[in-house]
Amino acid sequence: MTRLLVPLMLVVLAALTVYPIVGSGYGVRSVQQVFMWITLAGSWNLISGLTGYVSFGHVAFFGAGAYAGALLVASAGWPWPLAALAGGAAAVLLAVVIGYPCLRLKGPYFAIAMLGLNEVLRALVSYFEGITGGGNGLSLPTLDASVPIYYVMGVLALVVTGLSWLIVTSRFGLRLMTIREDELAAEAMGIDTFHHKLGAFLLSAAGPGVAGALMARDQGYIEPISVFPLAITVTMIVMALFGGKGTVFGPVIGAVVLFVAQEIVWARYPYVHPLLFGAIIVAVVLLMPRGVLGLLQQRYRMPRTI
Amino acid sequence: MTPKAPAALAVALALAVGGVVPATAQAPIRIGASLSLTGTYAKLGKNQHEGYQICEKELNAKGGLLGRKVQFVVYDDQSMPATAVRLYEKLITEDKVDGVMGPYSSPVTEASVNVTEKYKKVMVAPLAATTSIFKRPPGQKRNYVFMVISPAEVYLEGLLDTGVKRGLKTVAVVNEDTLFSKAAASGAEEVAKKKGLQVVFKEAYPKGNTDFSALLTKVKAANPDIVAAATYFDDAVALTRQMKELAVNPKMFGVTVGGDLPEFYDTLKQNAEYIYGATQWEHVLPYPGNQEFFDSYKKEFNHEPSYHSAAGYAGCLIYAEGVKRANSLDADRVREQLLKLEMRTPFGDYKVDQDGFQVAHKMVTFQWQKEKKVIVWPEDLAKGKPLFPTPPWTSR
Repeated sequence: MTRLLVPLMLVVLAALTVYPIVGSGYGVRSVQQVFMWITLAGSWNLISGLTGYVSFGHVAFFGAGAYAGALLVASAGWPWPLAALAGGAAAVLLAVVIGYPCLRLKGPYFAIAMLGLNEVLRALVSYFEGITGGGNGLSLPTLDASVPIYYVMGVLALVVTGLSWLIVTSRFGLRLMTIREDELAAEAMGIDTFHHKLGAFLLSAAGPGVAGALMARDQGYIEPISVFPLAITVTMIVMALFGGKGTVFGPVIGAVVLFVAQEIVWARYPYVHPLLFGAIIVAVVLLMPRGVLGLLQQRYRMPRTI
Repeated sequence: MTPKAPAALAVALALAVGGVVPATAQAPIRIGASLSLTGTYAKLGKNQHEGYQICEKELNAKGGLLGRKVQFVVYDDQSMPATAVRLYEKLITEDKVDGVMGPYSSPVTEASVNVTEKYKKVMVAPLAATTSIFKRPPGQKRNYVFMVISPAEVYLEGLLDTGVKRGLKTVAVVNEDTLFSKAAASGAEEVAKKKGLQVVFKEAYPKGNTDFSALLTKVKAANPDIVAAATYFDDAVALTRQMKELAVNPKMFGVTVGGDLPEFYDTLKQNAEYIYGATQWEHVLPYPGNQEFFDSYKKEFNHEPSYHSAAGYAGCLIYAEGVKRANSLDADRVREQLLKLEMRTPFGDYKVDQDGFQVAHKMVTFQWQKEKKVIVWPEDLAKGKPLFPTPPWTSR
């Protein structure tokens, strides 16, 4: 299996590397969006798929990164790659602030806190109009950097997926999964659950932060409602669930399949696509709760560490 | 007869009958647009779409554009700027459309215009009312975007002016926290200051808000003579309902967008009575072709057009006129024509300055009176007198 997988992956990577040369502007931007969703779904998976602590507010890191990056570009004149890294750093900082108190608690408190965090951030951005432009949004100087952003976003997706693989195949990952299965038992075995959860959480915040800053630069215009919508959180969760939560390549499969499906449905059936998307979610949860990859792992002899 | 003869005969016949080469002779001119067919702005975006459709039909009935048929290619952006950006890129680079028309709402236009500028496409943006889209800081000028409707800042002027003339002193301004509504609200503040009205309360609420009880409790405490709300459709309806529930009784209550839709009255029934709205257009206004547009629209879609429909229709006509005068689809040549074009459309006057910023079009203020919108401001276009003051909810 792995013998087949590695060459296949290399071919895909090579194809994606040369794609901007032949692809149209729309094609490049769409693939770049797929990279973004892989980053988001993969990052969500790191905390929620592995430890079972469901984050309903992961878009907060995306939005925080978007605003941090956009502000550094617009007001401080930073080059965008540096601003993107700063966006990631801002998201991690935010994760420390929220994770330090919330991850000490067991149970649903974390999920609720994350849901609130997103709304609080959006309100703050609207309130501090002098800095963020509030509801007017923030307009960045025009710059055509679609292709460089495509590559950077691609590398980001690769890093997040590689990181997932490293974690899943490590003792750290095993401990995280132990927490997911039974936190009390994990503690009894001597696992420092709080620091493990916090570690996974910080790692899961970095990717969305960088992705947010890149998206802001690419679009050239952000407003609170378009970078803090609940819909982004829901989409990344659905992608991870569809592909297979707690796996390495599940979020990748989910992001690719659902993005492509959505994009096709969108263009043709504007009035039914929310319905179709909802139907897919229901079908997945009922028929294959472990996702596509989980189902394959169950049916066929496939390694559990992909 | 040779196989080609019937075709030749048909052409000859068409020439004899219509006096023109049939529009189908060449590939159609394809005009792309991303519209808010679903999501927060769905109702308004759909009307705009129907305006485009009437324009398409009419242009084709008159022999098309540059002798070619006109065909619209429309996608749904779910009222999200990010999606619209991708769709305009798709229209331009994949579908390779010949021209584009603007999307619905200011935020979506603000984001999309980056794409159309990048590919040097003229975009007549019929439903972007925010000044900052057109008036840009130096070094970031936009060259190919054109405005059709009056700017957001003047929406509430008629409401406040009517109030001041009747001796009102205080106003509360509330608005959705997005590009257009904020501009409308700050425009209202400016007008209030100029006319000596005191702004006793001002607050914004987020897009998609449905519960206005906290906001309205504060409005009630401030007890303003006028409540001026910079809204879209859903929030305008919710605000009205909750004002009744909480018995907020200003002497005048006006909204911006949404209040002019027939659906506004259908949804609220008699609760919509006395409410003021601002509109860019009404079918009773004496613009050339206005009545014809109203009739054919009503026949086609079985409901009355809103100003979004009319602006979409007129925007499309303006673009077509630019193309006709340039005798080309080339962006620079069309731009040159659109900059100097002065046109009286069914929607009102069109004339822009060097930034593509509309300078000729006029806003009107109406009041719902007995299921009808009666234009009450400005005086030269007014069709009736405002029912003033608005009675409290309990005695309607």
